Amino acid sequence: MATRFLTADDVRRAGAGEIVVAEGTLVTPQALEAARELGIEIRGGAGPYQEPQPDRGPDATRAVRSLPHLPEPSEDPLAGTGVIVTAVGRNRRGILAEITTTLNANGASVHNVSQRVVEGYFHLILVVELDAGAPFDGLKTALECLGGTDDYAVRVMHERVFRYMHRV
Amino acid sequence: MSFTDQEILETVRMFELETLDIRTTTLGISLYDCADPDLERTCEKVYAKIVHHARDLVAVARSITSDFGIPIVNKRIAVSPISMVAAACAEEDLTPLARALDAAAAEVGVDFIGGYSAYLYKGFTHADRAVLESIPSALSSTRSVCASLALASTRAGINMDAVGRFAEIVLETARRTAEEGGLGCAKLVCFCNAVEDNPFVAGAHIGVGEPETVLNVGVSGPGVVRSALQRLGPEADLLAVAETVKRTAFKITRMGELVGREAARRLGTSFGIVDVSLAPTPAAGDSVSDILELIGAERTGAPGTTAALALLTDAVKKGGAMASSSVGGLSGAFIPVSEDSGMIAAVRDGALSLAKLEAMTSVCSVGLDMIAVPGDTPASTIAGIIADEMAVGMVNQKTTAVRIIPVPGKGPGETVEWGGLLGTAIVQDPGPFGCRVLFERGGRIPAPLQGYRN
Repeated sequence: MATRFLTADDVRRAGAGEIVVAEGTLVTPQALEAARELGIEIRGGAGPYQEPQPDRGPDATRAVRSLPHLPEPSEDPLAGTGVIVTAVGRNRRGILAEITTTLNANGASVHNVSQRVVEGYFHLILVVELDAGAPFDGLKTALECLGGTDDYAVRVMHERVFRYMHRV
Repeated sequence: MSFTDQEILETVRMFELETLDIRTTTLGISLYDCADPDLERTCEKVYAKIVHHARDLVAVARSITSDFGIPIVNKRIAVSPISMVAAACAEEDLTPLARALDAAAAEVGVDFIGGYSAYLYKGFTHADRAVLESIPSALSSTRSVCASLALASTRAGINMDAVGRFAEIVLETARRTAEEGGLGCAKLVCFCNAVEDNPFVAGAHIGVGEPETVLNVGVSGPGVVRSALQRLGPEADLLAVAETVKRTAFKITRMGELVGREAARRLGTSFGIVDVSLAPTPAAGDSVSDILELIGAERTGAPGTTAALALLTDAVKKGGAMASSSVGGLSGAFIPVSEDSGMIAAVRDGALSLAKLEAMTSVCSVGLDMIAVPGDTPASTIAGIIADEMAVGMVNQKTTAVRIIPVPGKGPGETVEWGGLLGTAIVQDPGPFGCRVLFERGGRIPAPLQGYRN
């Protein structure tokens, strides 16, 4: 349905008392302001007016249903999230231990490790599964805080990025 | 699912070293239901509807960046052409509508809002005229509003009256924003065969066939293509070059598809298109010009440049079309002169002329983009440059555009700094000869035979 609006002009024309708006009506900020000034109460069907959820149009429902090409991890409570962790930097003792300790602390287990050291520098690739329910954000922040200038840098990316880029 | 180390490192390298990013997520919002005979009420409705629908756009883009590690540089809004929204008002000056768009953009935190637009390739409605005439005031009094006008199409021909007036509007906009080097004109573009789902500014707007709300995505990645060609080396033949560009464009497009679908799903709206455009930035290495030189032009603008650009644009489209069923927008290669450090250098060295740029636009995805000319260039000369570009698009059945900036107080060869993504421009010389009589005639250049395809 086309958006119904309640504007400041409508409020001023009502003058006083109470305005009851139909479901889905969008009351403009100017109308809310005018109502405050005139002491008019704007009500929805069931109580005080609340901004409706955005109606994205007739296409949106079908589009949204067909969009989750690959389901979000949270939609399948048993599946974990695939995460790929890469680190590059100056090699020293204890790097792998630091990273895997952080992984463990954030609910992730390592599925595959690959590391090379060339002339004092290393690059490390870890394929990791994050437990269902464990937040990706937390893992990412914790890992990216490791290392530092003149040490090493960690990058954390969702497995889905690689799947989209390299698999048809 | 397992990946090889090479695949993983390739992806990480693209993001870390080759400046791969999602250039823009653009939420399209139809404003037709905001039409009202009263301009003030229209403005109120426009503001309320945009804020209502776009409130979560920036947060969704940020959440995708944090969940997937993919940078999304710009968040933008495109709306229905404002001339159609304002058609019920009898007002001559539509600047208040531009201010309402600007205020809504500021409220939701987006970079730009496109759609201060009109389609006038065949003639003017009163509202089209009002939009056109209020552009200088609209662009000089707002920060984020972008204006675009469709002045020509293959089906309709070129509305030369509109082109002539548009050139005067460009000059007036430059004058009103003279303190910033005519920057208002960087937010003003005209089109032949305008694209109705373009997510890139300044031409972003949502055409008449689009849904209520729609999320479009623009991906970029000249840095990735450049590095891939560098690794390929100068011995590889042109088929190998095209193949490399195609494969790279495929991977870039897949990122766009992922982000577009995810952003649309999180916002609860339809997913529109991925615009696969190699869009340069002034950052080192993020240059389309560098790619043309790697393919084999000694300098961008030298003989061979147009051929190299044709190969590049086509290969990008092919890779993109394979990667997504939703490729749209302008898709190809952009050549905005001031925004591409390689192009700026080519102009500075005298390698790239306006004439060569015009030739290049016949094979790239858009047109004469971000070119600076002297501030005292006659309106008829600017109109002539625009009409030539419209003719290229009209006859070749492709989109062409002109974003030209007459820089007040500057002459040929002088430099103007706009800063940020807009970069640096060298003022180019349009030459001593004009086309005044062409515009004094007025009227319309009729549609070419190519337009009669029924």
